[in-house]
Amino acid sequence: MATTRSQQTHRARGDVAVAGRELAQRTQRKAVAGRRQSGGGVLYLAAGLGVSAVFVVPLLWEIFRSLQPETTVTQPPSAASFGHLTFGNYQALLSGQDDIIRNVLNSLIVALLTAAVTAVVATLAGYGFAQFRFPGSQLSFGLVLVAFMVPFQAILIPLFVEMHFLRLLNSLVGLALFYTAFNLPFGVYVMRNSFLQVPRELVDAARVDGASVLGTLTTVLRPLILPGMATTALYAFLFSWTEFLAALTFLTKDSLFTLPVSLINVESGNYGAINYGLLLAGAVISMIPCVVAYVALQRYYVRGLVSGALKG
Amino acid sequence: MTLAGIAGSRRLTGAARRRARTGLLLVSPALALVAVFTLIPLGFGVYMSLTNWPLVGSYNFIGLANYQALLHNTLFIQSIVFTLKYTAIVTLPILIIGYALAVLVRSNRRGAVLIRTLIFLPFIVGLTTESYMAVVELQPQSGTANFVLGKLGIVKDTTAWLVHTGLALTAICVLVVWFAAGLTMMLLMAGMQSVPEELYESAKVDGASWWSAERRVTMPLLQRSIVLSLVISVIGSFLAFNQFYIMTMGGPGTSTLSVVMSIVNTGFSSFDIGLASAMSVVLIIVVGVISFAQFRFLQRGED
Repeated sequence: MATTRSQQTHRARGDVAVAGRELAQRTQRKAVAGRRQSGGGVLYLAAGLGVSAVFVVPLLWEIFRSLQPETTVTQPPSAASFGHLTFGNYQALLSGQDDIIRNVLNSLIVALLTAAVTAVVATLAGYGFAQFRFPGSQLSFGLVLVAFMVPFQAILIPLFVEMHFLRLLNSLVGLALFYTAFNLPFGVYVMRNSFLQVPRELVDAARVDGASVLGTLTTVLRPLILPGMATTALYAFLFSWTEFLAALTFLTKDSLFTLPVSLINVESGNYGAINYGLLLAGAVISMIPCVVAYVALQRYYVRGLVSGALKG
Repeated sequence: MTLAGIAGSRRLTGAARRRARTGLLLVSPALALVAVFTLIPLGFGVYMSLTNWPLVGSYNFIGLANYQALLHNTLFIQSIVFTLKYTAIVTLPILIIGYALAVLVRSNRRGAVLIRTLIFLPFIVGLTTESYMAVVELQPQSGTANFVLGKLGIVKDTTAWLVHTGLALTAICVLVVWFAAGLTMMLLMAGMQSVPEELYESAKVDGASWWSAERRVTMPLLQRSIVLSLVISVIGSFLAFNQFYIMTMGGPGTSTLSVVMSIVNTGFSSFDIGLASAMSVVLIIVVGVISFAQFRFLQRGED
């Protein structure tokens, strides 16, 4: 039996590998066509980087500005201000009474929790919708798609009242649960598509061998669905890290604020005089995880965009 | 049928039932979360909009009174008009710039992926973070915006962007177009890359110019992607909140108050939950109609 399973698995993997190779060849052919059509690679690169500068230089400029002392940030930029760079804003932000570290940690807790729970719950649901037949499966998938179209901004008021009833206001776990629910429709959609692409024989072979449902998922299917899970987790992380309105509404204690909300206190000078140096340092801190996560996992991000676009 | 056959088929239905139960079990956590945090609030919101729901205490049914009140609520109507105006201003620039950028990055040339990544960064970083940065850089005297535009002779370096309605709206629109163009670029690029290369080649053989190939080959095949990116950007504009809250607080006065801001204010500052729910229902209907129209359009394209 064990050999049968490994053979079956092997064959299915082989199929995937063949499909992959075909795809690679097709892509290569397309790439060759593109290159043939093109010319002036250096000119293209120069023009392209020039255009990119419009989008990147402002962000880089803000990093530079955040390294200027407070007194310089509130002065017009000058040649002299380039000479004096310091981590003073960051030190003040991360150590003083206006302790932002706690807010950064709140953001991290919420974003990581949301990413993990969304990926797991969406994977289970995707598995259920793609590989199992049960009464009401069409209806429930339809409901998930309806939820896909409901913007949370438009249900913020009833959500607030409901979360008050459920004692989920002023709770990082409550916020993470809401973020999870909001990210689930996309995640379920992505994961269902991942499971639909799994060769049928692979699942059947595992079942014949007596593997449990979850066993099949965590051993045989895992390598095939990890990309989908990465996409789901990445979207959930980026959403929760940058989300502002719901965090502003569902959290009222300063000590529970996520980073984007806590910066409102810095902006409005709740910690004393308005300090633009601190504000920029805080904004740069909130920018970094997004950029790192996106650049590292870009492949998975683009996959998600394409599958979302195909959904239409 | 033999006894063994009957037993076999019964065992099979038993297994099928067990599998059905497993399937239901697998999807139930997701269904529960979506129900609690999206579907129930959706129904609950409609219910509350028919009441005079206070923050604490009992409430009464008041029928459609909240909706009638909305017709005379100048602040809400003003916020709708403002949001429509804002949407009208940013939508086309986002589409046109996004399209041009997509043409740039759809190529297979070396560096295209890098260029695409860089252009997309503002969208990844998020409008909230960027709004804070913009607040600092739009300050009179010290902000970079006035410094650069002042040197170019476009504005005076004392221009206070965020306290004049027109200037604030201009600054926010520029920021939003800069932020959102990358998303449209990505969506259109995905569509453009699926246009078969042969179509361009035959257009070239026909002696078509670049622009006419673009118009005759790319654009018709790109209809779905264009509609999708338009809908995403229109809905996004309709739901705008963060940039206005952070940069102008809806001011000066209430001149840059967006719809979502006016809902939030009504609910959490005036504590008129019933009225705020009615406003939310109006917003859901507007967004729903846009989504539905897009859905129908895309379905028609499939036939």
